[in-house]
Amino acid sequence: MRTSAELHAQLVALLPKLRRFARTLARDVHDADDLVQLAIERALGRAAQLRADAPLAGWMFGIVRNAWIDEVRARGRRSRLFAPEEAAEQVSTPADTGHADRLAVHEALSRLPEEQRSAVALVLIEGLSYKEAAHVLDVPVGTLTSRLARGRTALQGMLADSPEPQA
Amino acid sequence: MTFSDETVMAYADGELEPQLRAELELAMAHDPQLARRVAAQRALRERLQRAFEPELDEPVPEQLLNAVRGATSSTVAPLRGARGTRTTWSWPQWSALAASFVLGAVLGPLLPGPSSTISTRDGQLLASGRLSRALSQQLASDASPASPVHIGLSFRTRDGTYCRSFLLRGSSALAGVACRDQGEWRLQVLAGTALGAAPEGAYRPAAAAMPAAVTQAVDALITGEPLDGPAEAAARDRGWRR
Repeated sequence: MRTSAELHAQLVALLPKLRRFARTLARDVHDADDLVQLAIERALGRAAQLRADAPLAGWMFGIVRNAWIDEVRARGRRSRLFAPEEAAEQVSTPADTGHADRLAVHEALSRLPEEQRSAVALVLIEGLSYKEAAHVLDVPVGTLTSRLARGRTALQGMLADSPEPQA
Repeated sequence: MTFSDETVMAYADGELEPQLRAELELAMAHDPQLARRVAAQRALRERLQRAFEPELDEPVPEQLLNAVRGATSSTVAPLRGARGTRTTWSWPQWSALAASFVLGAVLGPLLPGPSSTISTRDGQLLASGRLSRALSQQLASDASPASPVHIGLSFRTRDGTYCRSFLLRGSSALAGVACRDQGEWRLQVLAGTALGAAPEGAYRPAAAAMPAAVTQAVDALITGEPLDGPAEAAARDRGWRR
């Protein structure tokens, strides 16, 4: 088992990736950070379940994603927590909003259904293998690859309208 | 030989088994169309990676670094396990509980307005003053952005007790859930929100600032659906009695 100091150091190193993955799920940056925080708290609470040789990244991506699914289920109620005029803030995507291609890609990804978006984010952005990504999403590899294929095809369709600027 | 999109994608991802990979590479040498399909998949992958590269360079918020250290945000104070059952507490929760005692001591100066809105008795936090009045009288629909107390959801627990989520606005905003018990509103959870930190005039919607501790408490306590407007008014008119 990892010592808690090792676990903490590895988690800190992983934070930028966890935040990035969370943002592909929740578009709002604050929501995404809340999601990461919740995932960290859950992870620390069950660190004993993590085998020493198990990859921490995959385990954490899975916890973030499950936290998001819980969030979506609760969201029907969540949206009613406070008065309707206080609709959630949309602080979407990149800081350097001048970058048109980044915006187009972020926008296109956000329009995919969650299942396809997670598959695309894990494999194409985070660089997980099919097997690792299937494990995170708790689906067979065949399901993962078919979601990935549909997501890719849809992205290509959407992004064909805004071709990448030639560098 | 024709190759499916999934095969072409798997090749671009380096996931094709050696036999099929060799076949595809052979075919690609004679089939510019196939080579273009592979190139398009690789280009998409690279484009996605470039688009999400800058996120990795952003500074990580202190709040998340603290979470890793197990120092749950110092103002989050779970006061009771879900549904009153005994729960096995992890050490971050213990530290949060410890923080709740500290909270009792520092709460006074944090609260908006001159009158106290929260009091303690026998280790329990109770709503008092205008918070107590708002919980008893105010409907969710009564809220205006200027109100010091906002009522969120009203709902019932498994044993029929009424609970309500609220937001206290002031120099430091607090959100929580209170449940009606023997004529009083007992706080189940109380957490600081980022709301109070917003500069004057920068209106930050409450829903976005809701601490996870509060929404989790609602999820843990609620049975069935939250009360709708008429049910909320009816429960108020009965004095929130079960």
